[in-house]
Amino acid sequence: MDSERGRHSRVWDWDSRQCRAQLDEIFFRQHDYIQAGSPEHREFWAFFDRFQRFKIKREMSGPAEERREDKKGKKKSVTKTVDLGLPEEYDARYRINVSVCTRDIEERLGKSDHRSRQRSSGPGPHEISEFRLTLLHFLDFSQRQSFGKLAKLRQEQKNLPIFQYRDRIVELVKQHPVIVVAGDTGCGKSTQVPQYLLSAGFKHIACTQPRRIACISLAKRVSFESLNQYGSKVGYQIRFETTRTTATKLLFLTEGLLLRQIQQDGSLSQYQVMIVDEVHERHLHCDFLLGVLRSLLADRSDLRLILMSATINIKLFSSYFNDAPVLQVPGRLFPIQVIYQPIPPEEQPSRSEKLDPRPYLRILQAIDQRYPPEERGDLLLFLSGVAEISTIQEACQIYATHTRRWIVLPLHSTLSLAQQDKVFDIAPPGVRKCIISTNIAETSVTIDGVRFVVDSGKVKEMSFDPKAKMQRLQEFWISRASSEQRKGRAGRTGPGLCYRLYAESDYDAFAPYPVPEIHRVALDSLILQMKSMGLGDPLTFAFIDPPPTASIQTAVTYLKQQGALDSCGELTSIGSLLAQLPVDVVIGKMLVLGSVFNLVEPVLTVAAALSVQSPFLRSSQHNPDCSTARQPLQSNQGDPFTLLNTFNAWVEVKGERGGGSRKWCRRRGLEEQRLYEMVNLRRQFKELLKSHSLLESQESAPSGGDREQRRKRFTEKKKLHQMKREHELQEGSKRKVLKMNEGQEGEFSSGSDMEEKGKRKKEKDGAGHDLDIQEVKFKLRHNVSELQEAVNASQDLSSRQQALLKLLLCRGLYPQLAVADEHNTTRKDSDQVFHTRNKQGVVIHPTSVFASDPEVLHVPEEDIRETGADGKESSKHQLLAFVTLLETNKPYLSNCVRAPALQALLLVANSVDTNADCTRMVVDGWLELELREPEEALRVLSTALKLRAEWERLLQVQLGQSSSGGEAVQGVSRKDVGKLSDSLVRFLLYTEIRYTLRRLTALKTQNLYVGPQPETDLSDTKALVLNPLFPGAETKPDPIKGGLRLTSSFTYNCLADSKNLYSECLRTFWTCPNCSLYMPLSPLERMHHEASCRPAGEQQQDDGESGEVKPGPASASRLSRVYHCDVCDEDLTLTSTEILKHKRQHMHSAK
Amino acid sequence: MEESTTENPPKTFTCRLCGFSTAFTYYGQKPPNTRAIVLLEECFVTRDPFSPDKEKFLVLGSTCSLCKTCVCVGSDCSLFYTKRFCMQCVGKHLDQFPHQIQAELAKKSPKAAAL
Ligand SMILES: [Zn+2]
Ligand SMILES: [Zn+2]
Repeated sequence: MDSERGRHSRVWDWDSRQCRAQLDEIFFRQHDYIQAGSPEHREFWAFFDRFQRFKIKREMSGPAEERREDKKGKKKSVTKTVDLGLPEEYDARYRINVSVCTRDIEERLGKSDHRSRQRSSGPGPHEISEFRLTLLHFLDFSQRQSFGKLAKLRQEQKNLPIFQYRDRIVELVKQHPVIVVAGDTGCGKSTQVPQYLLSAGFKHIACTQPRRIACISLAKRVSFESLNQYGSKVGYQIRFETTRTTATKLLFLTEGLLLRQIQQDGSLSQYQVMIVDEVHERHLHCDFLLGVLRSLLADRSDLRLILMSATINIKLFSSYFNDAPVLQVPGRLFPIQVIYQPIPPEEQPSRSEKLDPRPYLRILQAIDQRYPPEERGDLLLFLSGVAEISTIQEACQIYATHTRRWIVLPLHSTLSLAQQDKVFDIAPPGVRKCIISTNIAETSVTIDGVRFVVDSGKVKEMSFDPKAKMQRLQEFWISRASSEQRKGRAGRTGPGLCYRLYAESDYDAFAPYPVPEIHRVALDSLILQMKSMGLGDPLTFAFIDPPPTASIQTAVTYLKQQGALDSCGELTSIGSLLAQLPVDVVIGKMLVLGSVFNLVEPVLTVAAALSVQSPFLRSSQHNPDCSTARQPLQSNQGDPFTLLNTFNAWVEVKGERGGGSRKWCRRRGLEEQRLYEMVNLRRQFKELLKSHSLLESQESAPSGGDREQRRKRFTEKKKLHQMKREHELQEGSKRKVLKMNEGQEGEFSSGSDMEEKGKRKKEKDGAGHDLDIQEVKFKLRHNVSELQEAVNASQDLSSRQQALLKLLLCRGLYPQLAVADEHNTTRKDSDQVFHTRNKQGVVIHPTSVFASDPEVLHVPEEDIRETGADGKESSKHQLLAFVTLLETNKPYLSNCVRAPALQALLLVANSVDTNADCTRMVVDGWLELELREPEEALRVLSTALKLRAEWERLLQVQLGQSSSGGEAVQGVSRKDVGKLSDSLVRFLLYTEIRYTLRRLTALKTQNLYVGPQPETDLSDTKALVLNPLFPGAETKPDPIKGGLRLTSSFTYNCLADSKNLYSECLRTFWTCPNCSLYMPLSPLERMHHEASCRPAGEQQQDDGESGEVKPGPASASRLSRVYHCDVCDEDLTLTSTEILKHKRQHMHSAK
Repeated sequence: MEESTTENPPKTFTCRLCGFSTAFTYYGQKPPNTRAIVLLEECFVTRDPFSPDKEKFLVLGSTCSLCKTCVCVGSDCSLFYTKRFCMQCVGKHLDQFPHQIQAELAKKSPKAAAL
């Protein structure tokens, strides 16, 4: 036998590629269980090599074993009771319960001898048999491996505290429409409850989460646990991404997204079971969702609702749902020792000072003294905000460098994602991580391995000041619930320790729960959504914890100002559209406005950019290299323009260099993730506009047409999908070990640091395969060349387009406007002050272009003609429109854009009031503009009114078109739009009128209006029942301000210093440039005439429509109305000017 | 809606010794789509959930050839040596097994005893 083996081995080499290929052809053919080229095939050969080595080792110790077996064999026969019929000789192959047999293999095993001899070079029967045995061992090995994994999984599930309630939960769900499952961290409710329902046979289950990231990770985990890792039974759906298919039975989605779905389908018929997770967090959307579901349950008796919560305030939820049964599950936390260590008075920071790091350092020291470094366990330190974090980080870093026992890592949401990700990496032996975090680590981010928690007891929370219409980020004491949550972070993986930097009596005085979001934030979007869902009066809606009435009222007022609600509080056409856009009202307005004009592409980009976190990393702000690299992207027109430039440049880099964009971003201190979010959001906006017929859905011919190109795109996509899958398989497999200097330097401190980062990334992705998964996803989702085309349309905007875009931004952002303080020119750059209507003395956020370049906001010296008590007279006043007003240590304006003041105000403001000759205008009751020349004032006002009317008309046509479904109505004509944009641009750029601009003083505000006038005084105005500017609308005395309301936004002659309406002294002789009219007219009469009198060119067109025209001055137009003159007792078709003239005739003749 | 609540519940395999429980899709010696592969005992089989390949199978357990108890393939519950034996039966007839197996079991017996 030995000689035979020797002979064969001379021609047969197990390691030869050729020999292996021959075996592949026999065992791993296309229709075999394992196919050549598959991953299992690779695994098999790796196993094969290991097995060969193992056999050689065993053969060397083989003989000894055999001898021992002989001895045992004798002993065996003595005690035998039942004969199991086991073979005499041990062989490991008997332990395998699998066999492989094909005719092919049987033949080669020597049954027909001559055939095997023919293949003298191929494997002989011995090789075949040996190989088959190895294959069986491999199959057995992989069976054991998979079973082991499955058994471990089942064991872990069983060990979860919630497991013993499994049947009870299913039973309760079957019996009750609503149940509450309350359990603390680690009880397993989020992953297990959906699975229990799945395996109980429920389909169409939705589970909401407050955070997108949780949707993804839960879907991943639950699909793995429910053994559907490679199927789509379990999926998720978030803003831009979904894995949902028709086979999906369990869907994780965000609260906001579910609300949108309810908006579309009021009965939510697509779901049978709703799980609302983390209800105790009391997010705005969640509170609202509960209210909506509560009323929905009345119509859907088959719907099952499960609320899942921490063991906080359970009764509130239960009683809100008619005393729904509560199932309380104990958590699984290790014991945690609490140490109260209040900060001594001398170390308490005063309001303006930085935090004193000493109390924090003492704890690090104490840990080092008490616990040997071999005992692992990291530290998590909770502070209120970013500034506090960097103060303490700095101090701890010095200590860490000195002791070499700590790696200090910050954690907050404005860090780059790569930087945030570091907290999950592992510290080298003998070293602990010291993670200094905001409350982000309280719920959103879960870090394993934390043994020590330090709780400052403070949190910075957003609150909303309805009076100043301003968000405020303030520091508060946390609640007892948050305090417990923070403590719990120390006991997830073992017993822990929690240092509280406050006294136990402080703890007792804390509020029991955090203030629900609905009590803290602006409710604009919420109210708009409620209106669009037809939920009636928001004041009477049965919220679980109703928000303050004032908040609701502020929101309603704001929405009215924005034009989303009419004066009765009903949704306007633009409002109902805005309600469907998943963005702030102001951003939504921009999108709609942009769709009317030919500025869709840049507006889409700006709207997307303003809806995500800024891509400019704060940490890179002080890096001179980054600033230099960013310079070309900056625009002194305003921050939205800088964002637009940045996005455009990025897309260009994407097109040219693909994955190279990552480096490009790093060099400029940009978080590329934000740009990816922007590009996704931008596309979503585009689709929304298309689906509302606000945008033509033209097929982009160049990319879609070519068959060859399509084929190429198809293969590319296939490859990308493959890459994405592979990435997902290896994702999260390994955590990197941190270096000692990690977190010491800023992200952009030096070139070598950047190289370091590049290397680090490579190591992580494994095998030097530097895959940028974001780039892959980006390419899968977007057609780069299409995107480039779109971007080209918004690159290098002409000054005309720029002006128009600014106007759109202003109108979108209105009433979020600010003006510069009159003394800014004499102040330092850093001391520039601005004012909004509701808040005086705000400053520009340091990240804004206007913080570094405030001069562009100043009125140029050479333009100022006179500086008197009334302020500077100039034609170059500007105002700022801003996206956010947020008070932290100061009230800051962010994302600002500048615009010419007079023009922008007249075009966008809700209320413009004038005196009799229109030389004095008050806008929105807070800004006063004074013009010298009545002539000019009248002209500019009249132009603005006309432009507004036309703009409004086109907007309504566009919106009307969208609501009626589109195609049939040939709405806004390109010609009209072109004409209007030309006129708007001309108005914006070439209105050269000197005026003063100032805020009204308190005194002036008090006596601003003449107030309602006795009927007799206004007898003349009765003639003005017609309003030629807005046919159909009546011109009537304003009941509060006095004067005359000409349009909803313009009231004439209501300012207190006004002279009487139509007083003869105000009539001046005037010649109409369009018709031959020459007569003395009051400003109002003149405006009327101007509005109705069209230039000769336009008249013909009008004539055709209006039909019969009464002879008169050549101003005849469709604005003529039937007027019944009491004196003549006759119906006359006249324009308003003609009516006035007619009336005056009678007056004169009467005298 | 009513019938969808109680969709045909999947057939479940449960090990009598350790309680391991999961759905199975096939019982027998020739799982579907496994080509040349034959099992040497009647097994409870499911699709391997950890493989992206839909046709990979996973044996969960079978019945003890002596006492007919349903057991999983986990090494704490059963042993295959030409036939399936539950650990209780193995214990009873330990002497008939080759010494390699005896030695192996002895090595982990403290753990087994603890269970
Ligand atoms: Zn078992
Ligand atoms: Zn048995």
